[in-house]
Amino acid sequence: MRRATTALPMLAVAATLALALPASAQTKDTLVVDLPGDVATMDPHLQWDTDSYSVYRNIFDNLVTRDVAGKIVPQVATAWRYADDTTIVFDLRSDIVFHDGSRLTPEDVAFSVRRIINPAFKSPQLSQFDQIVAAEVTGPAQVTLRTKTPYPALMAQLVKLSIVPKAYVEKLGDQAFNQQVMGSGPFRMRSWQRGVQSNLEADDAHWRGKPSFRTVTFRAVPDIPTRIADLRTGRADITRGLTPDDAEALKSDKALRLLPVPTERIAYMFVNAQAGPTKDKRVRQAIAMAVDRDTIISALQQGYAKPVNIVLTPANFGYLPDIPGWPHDPARARALLKEAGAEGAAIQFLTSPAYDRRLNEAVQQMLGEVGLKVEIVMLDQPTYLRRRQGTPEEAGALSQGRWSCACQDADGVIFPLFRSGSIWSKFSNPEFDAAVDAARVVLDEGKRLAQYRRAFEILRDEVPGIGLFQDYQIYLARKELNWTPTANEAFFVSEMKWQP
Amino acid sequence: MTGHLAGRFGQALVACFGVLTIVFFVMRLSGDPTLLLVPEGASAEQIAALRHELGFDRPMLVQYVAYLGDLARFDLGESLVQRAPVAGIVAERIPYTVALALGALLVALGIGIPSGIAMAVWRGTVVERALAAIVLAGQSLPTFWSGILMILFFGVYLGWLPTSGADSLASLVMPAVALGALTMSTFARMTRISVLDELSRDYVAAARARGLSRMAAVGRHVLRNAAIPVVTIAALEVGNLLAGAVIVETVFAWPGIGQLAIQSIAARDFLVVQAVVLFVSIVYIAMNLLADLAYAAIDPRIRLER
Repeated sequence: MRRATTALPMLAVAATLALALPASAQTKDTLVVDLPGDVATMDPHLQWDTDSYSVYRNIFDNLVTRDVAGKIVPQVATAWRYADDTTIVFDLRSDIVFHDGSRLTPEDVAFSVRRIINPAFKSPQLSQFDQIVAAEVTGPAQVTLRTKTPYPALMAQLVKLSIVPKAYVEKLGDQAFNQQVMGSGPFRMRSWQRGVQSNLEADDAHWRGKPSFRTVTFRAVPDIPTRIADLRTGRADITRGLTPDDAEALKSDKALRLLPVPTERIAYMFVNAQAGPTKDKRVRQAIAMAVDRDTIISALQQGYAKPVNIVLTPANFGYLPDIPGWPHDPARARALLKEAGAEGAAIQFLTSPAYDRRLNEAVQQMLGEVGLKVEIVMLDQPTYLRRRQGTPEEAGALSQGRWSCACQDADGVIFPLFRSGSIWSKFSNPEFDAAVDAARVVLDEGKRLAQYRRAFEILRDEVPGIGLFQDYQIYLARKELNWTPTANEAFFVSEMKWQP
Repeated sequence: MTGHLAGRFGQALVACFGVLTIVFFVMRLSGDPTLLLVPEGASAEQIAALRHELGFDRPMLVQYVAYLGDLARFDLGESLVQRAPVAGIVAERIPYTVALALGALLVALGIGIPSGIAMAVWRGTVVERALAAIVLAGQSLPTFWSGILMILFFGVYLGWLPTSGADSLASLVMPAVALGALTMSTFARMTRISVLDELSRDYVAAARARGLSRMAAVGRHVLRNAAIPVVTIAALEVGNLLAGAVIVETVFAWPGIGQLAIQSIAARDFLVVQAVVLFVSIVYIAMNLLADLAYAAIDPRIRLER
């Protein structure tokens, strides 16, 4: 009998343990994220680099957001309508609270807009929002924004607008707020060791629901092999920024999961239309036909890239799949060069260590095969930028780039790259300028697309640039992590789940 | 001695000034720093406005005087990227690099000096050849490669040590070994030569004649004399460790000055890069000065010659 009394509680403990074990194996409290770099600023109205926003966007709610398919959907704003072409009215939720318990009000929304567009605040994101001229509270749950001109990219820009608490920011001041940010997002900041790591803690009562993870740790691990080692040992659960070669090597690892996603980043080649042998349109067209983009995608990108026909990705508004791209046709390229009298012409391919050297060499060889002598000019980054943004004579004939406007709109890509007067453009075509100018100030999507069709037809014929491919972001996660990455490279931990 | 000290100190100051000047001009003459600071889509007007605001449109000499003035007040400016004082950003990273450098120095001294002694004492034997192989490996393997190999072997395969980070003493082991390897080899070779040199002296023969064993002669007499060049090297090597930290800290995600340098270059954080370069240069000069002084303190001949 005595043995039975001691055995019973032990059995109970054993039974509890047996029941508890599978459950505890299924939950995971802390998600560890290896980011390539450190958080530059926690203040969401300052830096917009991927490492910073991967962390701070979890701490805030946005006015609007994008769903997995890329559609703009409500978040703090429940609905919006145009009062006229430059006035847009937002209805807001009234049930959102900041992490200190205070309610998120229309004043906070208006304050957030005014703060980021205030030139004295010097936000690096100013150029993304400076079309907004006023933000006013127009009702108990309503804010009205006014833009300089009709501004079609407004909603795409507002996807990136985090709402900050007015009273808290004003009390602390900008510099202290950056150190101790507070928002209304699914996670609150627990600690930030600059350069080392940042720790976030779930807000269980969040209006969008309780996040699956209790805490999140973001670490700065610059070296890719080290990040992969962290994933393999379980020291980290997810990372990003793998190269296609890394991804190929990890395909067979059963404990890990590759999450590649096509982004809005366009890999392109600039072709100087205003100086040197490439001033002749036929030479530029010959280059477009000499570059074998399929080989670049399969050999350099290991398939982690999608072919494009224009200098824009399908993730951007304004992408037109039916505009024909230049075919790979070395014979016609050679003929065109001969016709232009440019056989054996020497051209410069400007580059810096920031760009993929292999791509330079591949293009050099491809153009060599059709009879162009390409000299790869390796420059330090400041010199590269000075020359590339300088006069057509010093900009070189070719350069490569990967362009993202973080707005998923053609306006943010072909306007800065090819509109005459832009520092990047070495191309001037009044008809093209008129089309891209018109497309930026008309709200009707059909009319905008018609303008972009005209613009891309001109670009196709004139070749001041060549779209190479839609670039991928490659995430690597533990097998158990369930998440769907998106084209805008948002990193919302509240959308991630742990499923052993 | 006071004259010697003052002279060396003066030289160090001149070197510091030279470094400040070189850093200033190299960072500006290589290109317009404004271009690195603006976002890709910035217009020509935005670039011009920022250039004006940062003062990069002023004559170079005016900028140089302003820069020296700021440094005289220990004002390193505010990081344009991080919106925080540069001095604070750099200071937060220093303890990590100091810990790493000390760890590496410990590895280097702890392995290098005994190996050097052993190689000298057992010259020509299998012991020397085995140790020479280790020394050669430490000297010739680049840290970005040896670091990754160590992570794969001790971190991933054996699971003994954390693969990255700076959250425990265990995290320090691999970075310290990777960083200390080259210095270890230097110490081993220096110690070997130094001890061999001393072993051939008459006082060693005299000590042996008095009946001292070879090891006792080495322990009691040779090491003290052989230490002179080694101490000098130790101070100089600290400078090399700081330079090597750039790669090791990147590989092991160790959040020190070296990683900060790389991150700031990537983030185009101009003022932080400048501050890191200044800091490392000044530490290097200070260590050289220290080596000079230590040399003089240990070896009276140096003082007497002056």
